[in-house]
Amino acid sequence: MQLRVAERVGRLRWIFLPLGLCALTAVGAHAAADVVGDRVLWCVDRIAAFCDGVFASWSVTAPLVDLIGISQRTFFARALALAWELSADALIAIPLLGYDEREGAVELRTARALLRKSPTPQRLVRPVATVLVAVAGACSVARLVQGSVQLALHASLLSHFAAACVLFALLIVFVPRAGFRALEHADQKGHLVSIGILGTVVLAPMMLAALYASPLVSFFR
Amino acid sequence: MRRLLPIELLLAALCLWAAWYHTPAGALVRTAGAWFLKTRSTARPLLAYYGAGVYLPPRAAPPPPLAAPVPPAQALGYGAWATADQRGTPAALSAQIKSLSARLEGSDEAAMLALFCGEESARYALSRAQDETGSPRLEDLARALPPRSADCIAQASQALMQAGAYSLAWPLPEAVRITSPFGMREHPVLGVRRLHAGVDLGTAVGTPVRAAAAGVVRRASSDGVNGRILVLDHGRGVTTIYCHNDELLVQDGERVRKGQIIAASGNTGRSTGPHLHYQLDLAGQAVDPLRYRAGHPRTSASGASD
Repeated sequence: MQLRVAERVGRLRWIFLPLGLCALTAVGAHAAADVVGDRVLWCVDRIAAFCDGVFASWSVTAPLVDLIGISQRTFFARALALAWELSADALIAIPLLGYDEREGAVELRTARALLRKSPTPQRLVRPVATVLVAVAGACSVARLVQGSVQLALHASLLSHFAAACVLFALLIVFVPRAGFRALEHADQKGHLVSIGILGTVVLAPMMLAALYASPLVSFFR
Repeated sequence: MRRLLPIELLLAALCLWAAWYHTPAGALVRTAGAWFLKTRSTARPLLAYYGAGVYLPPRAAPPPPLAAPVPPAQALGYGAWATADQRGTPAALSAQIKSLSARLEGSDEAAMLALFCGEESARYALSRAQDETGSPRLEDLARALPPRSADCIAQASQALMQAGAYSLAWPLPEAVRITSPFGMREHPVLGVRRLHAGVDLGTAVGTPVRAAAAGVVRRASSDGVNGRILVLDHGRGVTTIYCHNDELLVQDGERVRKGQIIAASGNTGRSTGPHLHYQLDLAGQAVDPLRYRAGHPRTSASGASD
């Protein structure tokens, strides 16, 4: 009976693992976009000041200064952060839905072959970005577990232990898989947008933000 | 095909749970699901997921009118009072927040969180935030709490923002008259009906303009519409804006103190005469700054405007 349940659950592997990896990366991308909200606002301020200076110079374009007023800058900063996060999701989280697990030996052989190839920006940026964002996501999931256990059971040690265990397990079980899948995907042809300027513009700041959103040490103190 | 290990199943479920509550993509799915099932969605609006402003309840009520000036020491109490549907008195709430703050390492943000979410939640969030960033800002505290705390976090956030608005000083002497109040009006230059997002204070060129509260200069620039413009960010979603100045005395990124002279008023940009356009934004929305003051400067029927 127990074996039958395990088998049935095992059949869900093809959908459950890709969904989990995609969710982990999406959570990481959100955590990264969220922690740099102030920086995004600062950028929008600079752009708005520059545009206002230019548009107000001519009577024809002056109404544009009113159209996008000073108060709308928060809205635009948030919209920019949302667009950035969704772009990162499209570049690194959605491809994880195509995760296709093979036998361990085959997986290792493929990984070795991929790692032996010369490192191009395409082969470096996406896997590194995926790993960093997945680590930020693992921290967010661990934080959620810790908060929920702490406020439900009022047990500080238990909540800390649960968060550390979840984080450790995610770092061991999920993050390398996400990185490997990204490496494999980056190596496939036909994903030109991700290797172009757009991909770098989206993913390079996302990598830095993800580092900032990964307080790994705080979970193991 | 390999079997799905229980640990993998658990981890995948946790990741999906986190994405469900903590990503805009999850919010989209929740909203679509609620629409399909014809139920009410509990997801926040998409743009409310970013910390550039503050979390706010879906419908934030306007603050009640004030009978007397707000003592600066009681601004937090007034903020909580206005948010909690005026239950209790501002003085009593101030005392409660002060006592909570003393127990929560002197953090007003944690104290406000404790008032709305409970002391245990605030204490845990404070310790988690200190472990991670050392910062007790509400956004950092909120990250530590589980999804079911979203409503009380939004209330604490609104209370802090209202408190910030109640603690603002006036940028010019009280005797300066208002030449154009906040609200819908016919634009004096363009001749079209539109919202006047601030108050115009008629004053001579060169009058010192003071910072309404401590903050950071977000923008110090010049254009043909707003003239020489200063935007101060006071944190907690409170921003003040000063337009049509003759001279700006502070620079981008500079920290300013409450009452510090930051500009000399003027008549630059699209303006009919010397005046200061003073604007208060709360969470990116322009509001009438007089709502947060008991004593209003006198209004003049005629005078310079923009």
